[in-house]
Amino acid sequence: MSLWQFLTQNRMEVWQLTLEHLWMVGVSMVIAVAIGVPVGIWLTRRAVLEKPVLGAANVIQTIPSLALFGFLLPAPWIGARAERIAILALVLYALLPVIRNTYVGITGVDRAVVEAGRGMGMTGRQLLLQVELPLALSVIIAGIRVATVISVGLATIAAAIGAGGLGEFIFRGLAMVNNAVILAGAVPAAILALLADFGLGLLEKRLRPA
Amino acid sequence: MTADTQPEKAVEFRDVSYRLDHGATLLHDLNLSVQRGELLVLLGRSGSGKTTTLKLINRLLEPSSGQVLIEGRSSTEWDPIQLRRRIGYAIQEVGLFPHFTVERNIGLVPALEGWSRQRAQERVRELLHLVGLDEQLASRRPRELSGGQRQRVGVARALAADPPILLMDEPFGALDALTRAELQREFLGLQQRLHKTTVFVTHDLREALLLGSRIALLEGGRLIATYTPHEFLHADEPLAAAYVAAFRTEKAGL
Amino acid sequence: MKRAVISAVLGLALITAGCGPSRQNVVVVGSKNFPEQLILGELIAQQIEAKTHLKVERRFYLAGTYICQQAMLAGRIDVYPEYTGTALTAILKEPPLKDPVTVYQKVKQQYEQKFQFAVLPSFGFNDTFAIEIRGADARRLGLRTITEAAKYAPQWRAGFGYEFMERPDGYKGLVATYGLKFAKPPAIMDLGLLDRALASKQVDLAAGNSTDGLIPVLDLAVLHDDKHYFPPYYAVPIVREKALAQHPELRAALMELAGKISDQDMRALNYAVDGEHRSVADVVREFRNKNKLN
Repeated sequence: MSLWQFLTQNRMEVWQLTLEHLWMVGVSMVIAVAIGVPVGIWLTRRAVLEKPVLGAANVIQTIPSLALFGFLLPAPWIGARAERIAILALVLYALLPVIRNTYVGITGVDRAVVEAGRGMGMTGRQLLLQVELPLALSVIIAGIRVATVISVGLATIAAAIGAGGLGEFIFRGLAMVNNAVILAGAVPAAILALLADFGLGLLEKRLRPA
Repeated sequence: MTADTQPEKAVEFRDVSYRLDHGATLLHDLNLSVQRGELLVLLGRSGSGKTTTLKLINRLLEPSSGQVLIEGRSSTEWDPIQLRRRIGYAIQEVGLFPHFTVERNIGLVPALEGWSRQRAQERVRELLHLVGLDEQLASRRPRELSGGQRQRVGVARALAADPPILLMDEPFGALDALTRAELQREFLGLQQRLHKTTVFVTHDLREALLLGSRIALLEGGRLIATYTPHEFLHADEPLAAAYVAAFRTEKAGL
Repeated sequence: MKRAVISAVLGLALITAGCGPSRQNVVVVGSKNFPEQLILGELIAQQIEAKTHLKVERRFYLAGTYICQQAMLAGRIDVYPEYTGTALTAILKEPPLKDPVTVYQKVKQQYEQKFQFAVLPSFGFNDTFAIEIRGADARRLGLRTITEAAKYAPQWRAGFGYEFMERPDGYKGLVATYGLKFAKPPAIMDLGLLDRALASKQVDLAAGNSTDGLIPVLDLAVLHDDKHYFPPYYAVPIVREKALAQHPELRAALMELAGKISDQDMRALNYAVDGEHRSVADVVREFRNKNKLN
């Protein structure tokens, strides 16, 4: 059976697994951004913390993903459900790009602009919300873009611990030694990654200050 | 604060020193005052402490010892946000917000102070005229303007909320000679009309002589002396004389 | 403009976050990834298709007990075939028990209580661990039970599957109960390869399954578990109560399968798929016809 035949004959399951995949990526990205952006902002206010925090995020990224999924299995509450493990792991992997780009984006704002703003009497909060964040937004979105693409890929491994998603086709195809099934998981996952990259890339371009 | 009750000395430095965390002292025992309505020029070379002095006024820096009094109150007693909103600030790089239109840039402090949209718009129009810019530019972005136009917007922005004090840090330094001369002339005219208390930093003697009602000469973090432009040209003080000599040589060389 | 774009992106993220899995008139049948499981899963699937108006989605080849349990908990599958012994020790983490009825009752009660899963009556066969040796060796040495074979353990290489090595009712207990001392640590390999490894003398003793299709074909001998170490592993359909509530007709359909497969039947089915390489769907259809399940 060719890939196309498989996809059309199993439309419902393909759609189902794609939704599961999107759900994992969506939830974890929302959480990663909700944590990562504030932490990145915090780092710009406390220069001392930059090295340790970015260092920690870096270390997390170097842990092989399958190993991280495995570590979390015996954890209380988190380990009880595969989706929780998957989402926690995906959040952890997404943190570094988001935090780092938020930090770089904000510190990259023209110093003269920030000085002028502060000199004219903007409070820290006003500066952040009206000047720094809008000007850093493009770089922050770039970080979110990278993190999302990584997440889409990592989420395929989550199937190994039973969290579902398109990876399930890949593992099934491997067990069946059936290429069409493997591709039925790999190709949609790749397409999702490309779409995320493209879509967020467009957003990034539009938000770039001239 | 009405005109009657405004203090004679808009700004006063009393034994002010400024030291950096790792030891270097940028200002030594500065005693200086700025009269209401005058344009005081802080003249000196790089490292003389003139920008530091300026930033002590709007509390971007705080004195390590001594006091900086603005309208009679120490800078450290003022709420820094309130203080800065009452002081116009124009810097060499201008620092216009690239994502704001010219109108929104100029109207920044009015917006922060909660002016009505209409009042702010009128004020912006008024200021564009004041600094010699076409009203049409209000909806443009800074990147669409020339260097000279941007600096005019910077001045307009500094004047927007009609602050009693204006601080300017080499505002025309980054412009070409022609534009610079043009802006200097226009600013002089503006000053003659508005009589804003202004502290103006520059390293250019010509600019100092043209614009200043008084010149404070700084070197190595110390105030050497203050002069009127006329006094400066005939000063015995070696540094001042050196400046004048260099000035004359330049002129002669043309 | 900027605000609209940002809210759209956030909205999209939140929507996808809110989309948990959900289906209407579909029942999802799961199974693990070895032939016996595929056969049982297919049997359940075809039964539901034949006896109800429900659509069936097959999600087979799930990589193990843990993954199936996760899928059930998350509602991604509604029913799958499990073994009572495995449920007891691997999922409920209770110590192994000997009596099949006690095991079944305990599992049924706790699954209901803890997970709201219904444990239906067993298919009929007991797929417990079978300690196998080559038929030739069994005949030559006159070995019938594991105790008798224990004497020869130091001269033998043993082969076991991954799960067997890790499970509480697996390798450790076996060695302790029978005092087995192998010369070298056991070879660990995929379940599917064990029988052939045994036949080709790569290993001399293996823990396979009592319903292995290749046992008669490769002339392997199953040693009797005289000390009754291995708990019972009766295959049962496990169904989510939610699915039963949504589709009451499921229960009746699945009950029909109770007791329909003997140990021998299972071996034959396994051999048809594993040994003769016939398609699972065909083999199951043939079985259903023969047993008048239609």
